Amino acid sequence: MSEHLDQVFGQLVNRSWQRFSEQLHTREIDDLLVGAVITAAVAQGNALIDLNSDGNHHYLRFQHRERKHRLMFQLTHLAGSVTAARTLGQHASVTMAYGEYVQDARTVWQALKSEVKSGFLDVGEPGVLTVDADLGTGYVYVQVPLLLDLEPYFADQYTVKYPVLQEHIAAVAQACAKYLHGRIAA
Amino acid sequence: MLSMINKFKNNAEARESKDEALIGEMVFTMAHLGCPVIGIKSGGDLQYVRFKPVKDPVLYSFTIVLDRKTGDGALQQAVLGSKATLTFVAEVKNHIADPDDLVAMFRTDMANMLRSPWFGDIKLDHQLNSITATKKQLIDIDDYADADGADRERLRQLLQGTMQELREKVAAYKK
Repeated sequence: MSEHLDQVFGQLVNRSWQRFSEQLHTREIDDLLVGAVITAAVAQGNALIDLNSDGNHHYLRFQHRERKHRLMFQLTHLAGSVTAARTLGQHASVTMAYGEYVQDARTVWQALKSEVKSGFLDVGEPGVLTVDADLGTGYVYVQVPLLLDLEPYFADQYTVKYPVLQEHIAAVAQACAKYLHGRIAA
Repeated sequence: MLSMINKFKNNAEARESKDEALIGEMVFTMAHLGCPVIGIKSGGDLQYVRFKPVKDPVLYSFTIVLDRKTGDGALQQAVLGSKATLTFVAEVKNHIADPDDLVAMFRTDMANMLRSPWFGDIKLDHQLNSITATKKQLIDIDDYADADGADRERLRQLLQGTMQELREKVAAYKK
């Protein structure tokens, strides 16, 4: 009887570990993505120059070691529970920005910032390109918010599909760069 | 949305971002060693990154904490360089589901560990079902943070060597 109860206890603990692992993976998938974004960006010749994270909201900034342009990411996990992940799928709010050093950033920013006053902005709609400037460093950025499914970036629990991730980062960076060059030239 | 820039401290000088650059290189190197990030916290001069040694049957996690000591200002940088303390923690986790095994483990392994927790500069510790080996090391960030081949190779040797060293100390406690 005693041995039987020990076995039952063992089964209960093992099943609990399976449940716990599922919850853990749901919670840590955004950290996995942050690590993957850092790895992908460093592999493309960027240096991480800013990292800010409270465990839920992650802010990353990179500067290309040779060409000096910058990339920024803001990642917020939106499916932190197993229920949310199963019903909605793993997804995250990601804002990505591309920035370049501009000689006279203040003048450029003055010309562009009228759009910031628009009441149609900052409503959380994805795919909207906006311009922002960091006058302290002379960088002007174009940023775009997106809602991304996370499953396409993972082959299994811990294996990242780097070609997919790098293609998506390159596509967003190219779109932002085109818009930035177009706006500065206009 | 437009306040994203304000979420970052304004690292106008490259020297102020050296610890972040080193963290970036560490994440890159660990990914190539088969250890993706499973936890990350950062703020001020303290950076905490937890990695998962995916194919390692012994280690449950490997954590690196970077605490920058000097080099924020130009004068400090010139006189002292960019010194930082790296704290490495290798963790073994036991999923013991048999109370008899649990009692036996506490009588033998844990008792031995509490009697002599230090192996040179490595400290062993246990907390509930985790056993950890911790090592601290003072480094000059400039020796590792550049992306050239020599720095990357030095960093790979440091991370791989330390992980292996700590793994050897905790492997005996994996059930």
